[in-house]
Amino acid sequence: MLSEVQDIFRDVLDNEDIILAYETYSDDIDEWDSLTHIQLVVAIEKHFHIKFTSKEITSWANVGEMLDCILNK
Amino acid sequence: MLYQDFVDSSQYLEYTYCITQDVFDAFQKLSQDLNPLHTDANFAKRMGFPDRVMYGNILNAFVSHFVGMVLPTQNVVILTQDIQFRKPVFMGDTILLKSEIQDTSEAVEIVNFKLKFYRTTNAEKSQLVASGHVQVGLLHPQQ
Repeated sequence: MLSEVQDIFRDVLDNEDIILAYETYSDDIDEWDSLTHIQLVVAIEKHFHIKFTSKEITSWANVGEMLDCILNK
Repeated sequence: MLYQDFVDSSQYLEYTYCITQDVFDAFQKLSQDLNPLHTDANFAKRMGFPDRVMYGNILNAFVSHFVGMVLPTQNVVILTQDIQFRKPVFMGDTILLKSEIQDTSEAVEIVNFKLKFYRTTNAEKSQLVASGHVQVGLLHPQQ
């Protein structure tokens, strides 16, 4: 699943060099800001056919917590 | 406005626009696009069109108005927008813009609208001239 989410990040952020890890934080990726975060959430919801809540997305500290949230859907 | 109220009151909306000389002039001044397809009827005819082709991006300007002024709240911002032009539009055309919600994301409070533009100049026969999407985010006043 990490590689699928990585592909989404690369597509949405238009950067093929992005390499995600569980410990990746938004500060680690220049293009990951509040506006692109919206597009990442929308793209992940669409790809995995899931819906997040606002509480869930604000609780994510890093990519690992995002992946845990996807897995629990 | 709460997100769910915004979604509930925006399911299906429509607004009618006219491509007038004033609209054309304002868009030309803004864009500085003087391509003869838009300014020279003879050139347009040589290219196979019956008359000057209006700037397609006038329709995008209509989307700007639609989002900013027709949606049930002004606390909105356009996040993404796309449009596919299917038929040329001409001076004097009346364009009916219809929107319906295609998908939503409550977590980030965005709504993706499917847009369809119909030429209704001939009241008996409307024609789809363009379609597209606009993704709108709901804003909240900062405390």
